[in-house]
Amino acid sequence: MTFLNVVTRGLWRRPIRTGLTLLGIAVGIAAVVTLIGMSRGFITSWTAGMKSRGTDIVVHNMRGSLTPQPFPASTRDRIAHLPGVAGTCNILVNLMSVETAELMILSGREWGGFAWDNLKLVSGRMPNDQMEKAVVLGTTAAEILKKKVGDTVQIETEELAVVGIADGGAFVENGSIVLSLPLLQQITGNPDKISAIDVRCDSGMDQAGIRKLCDDMSRLIPEAHAEPAGEHLVHTEGYRMINAMSWGTSLLAVIVGVLGVTNTMLMSVFERQQEIAILLALGWRRSRIVRMILLESALLGLLGGIIGIGLGVIGIQLMKSAPAIRGLLEPDLSLNLILIAVTIAVSVGVLSGFYPAWRSSRLTPSLALHG
Amino acid sequence: MARFFAQPTADLVSNHERPAAAPFVFEAAGLIKEYDEGRVHALRGVDFQIGDGEFVAIVGPSGSGKTTLLQMLGALDRPSAGTLSYRGESLPDLTDDAAYRAREIGFIFQAFHLLPTFTAIENVMMPMFENDLSGSARTARARELLKAIGLEQRVDHFPSKLSGGERQRVAIARSLANSPSVLLADEPTGNLDSKNAVLILDLLTDLHRQRQMTLILITHDMTVARRASRAIQMKDGRIIFDGDPSKLTADS
Repeated sequence: MTFLNVVTRGLWRRPIRTGLTLLGIAVGIAAVVTLIGMSRGFITSWTAGMKSRGTDIVVHNMRGSLTPQPFPASTRDRIAHLPGVAGTCNILVNLMSVETAELMILSGREWGGFAWDNLKLVSGRMPNDQMEKAVVLGTTAAEILKKKVGDTVQIETEELAVVGIADGGAFVENGSIVLSLPLLQQITGNPDKISAIDVRCDSGMDQAGIRKLCDDMSRLIPEAHAEPAGEHLVHTEGYRMINAMSWGTSLLAVIVGVLGVTNTMLMSVFERQQEIAILLALGWRRSRIVRMILLESALLGLLGGIIGIGLGVIGIQLMKSAPAIRGLLEPDLSLNLILIAVTIAVSVGVLSGFYPAWRSSRLTPSLALHG
Repeated sequence: MARFFAQPTADLVSNHERPAAAPFVFEAAGLIKEYDEGRVHALRGVDFQIGDGEFVAIVGPSGSGKTTLLQMLGALDRPSAGTLSYRGESLPDLTDDAAYRAREIGFIFQAFHLLPTFTAIENVMMPMFENDLSGSARTARARELLKAIGLEQRVDHFPSKLSGGERQRVAIARSLANSPSVLLADEPTGNLDSKNAVLILDLLTDLHRQRQMTLILITHDMTVARRASRAIQMKDGRIIFDGDPSKLTADS
């Protein structure tokens, strides 16, 4: 028998109470995994989408608002000539409900721009010209809308032909409805407006070079910001709000977990007062008693964390298939997030064990001779 | 009752480095213990010396101070005044009372106090966590101790599956786990029927004789006390008799 056996035996003496406590921690950790996984997934999915388009820098004006604010398409003329810029593509992105789908990405791309290049047709063709009332659906978008080549799709008041279905090489690209920029500007009533400029840098440019180019661009266009692809989302108010809400909700769930474990461990210490006194009488040091309680508590956290990660994965699968999210983002269930969840779970356990452990260390061994 | 020691027990005794030789194992002078800010007087100036290898029975009615005295000897509590030493070292001044209890003292309790969620062998292993034995060495030693007291067939039984006598034998094996030099037994037969009480007393007597341990046993039963080589009778926190147990009388 090892000391760890002693610790685990302490947990299973009240299996129902331990089980309920584990469930409490698990729900908290599941919230962390699901919510943080979703908010991180937002960034990774959109970043992957831009990388698949070959975008190195995004010019936008999202920082101060929750949604992208359109800005003049002519802005591009002031930065396209800068050294290091290999290509630019004006983009107008809109999120709107389309037919039965609650939220779809509409991606209006400058006709002939490089942002069309990553689209590999699975079936059909590309639009013939920028004013053809036609769209290309990403593969996931086609599934969500249940459309095939030859069907039509109703966007606002316009009925557009589905002329092609394409694999965009990234989750967000595949979840998008792609159409020409002028067409989307017309549909959304934003003539000559764009929400982003995708910039492709000269090949071989390193991160320092990209950042310098961003700085140069931002100086030239004070009405917008140039940032490396992906980073621009992290700095937006919308993402900050989503992230803060995710962590806030997770924190509340974790606090509930801490209270649950503290209560369980306190009850356990109160119930075992005489046993602890006996162990002290048998020569156990108080530090060993403290370690026993803290380890029990940490183990509760670890087991709760493992169950919570499992629940979180299930939660993520459920959320992924939710109509409002499907096709918009791929949750980030990375090893890094799992490690964060396990660290939080074990910290919850240890933190919750401090007070009960301190109480147990105050017990007097003479209790062993009573009763 | 050699049947409890089918195997020689000498190999079960490890050689702890005991404190320097002193004329007595325990020596108390003017020992006082008060509770509730002096409102309760548990010990009112107790003096005694106990030599190495003695078998001492402490007798007296409830509230006479027997258990308080045992707590002092086991460093479970500290005296309010007076001196108490173990082999010449002051017990109240111990810097590591846990090590003292782990190495020098074996406790046997009236209610056995086995941990219910651990098997017999696991209970015996409990005191060994504070020494340097490996897990396998702990298991081997606990198994050996249980075999020595005739419980080799019950090693994996939980306390709830053992009889009262068996539980107390497991508790005795546990008290020997770290080869202490002193056994402190608090009414060890108090929760047993007369047949099991005799068996446990025989076992303790055997241990005392074969291992030359100091055995200090609390009892209110004069028959039990007469098995000892010396009796200390207490009343109202004072020693009222100290001598040959055969001379004990109910009101001596």
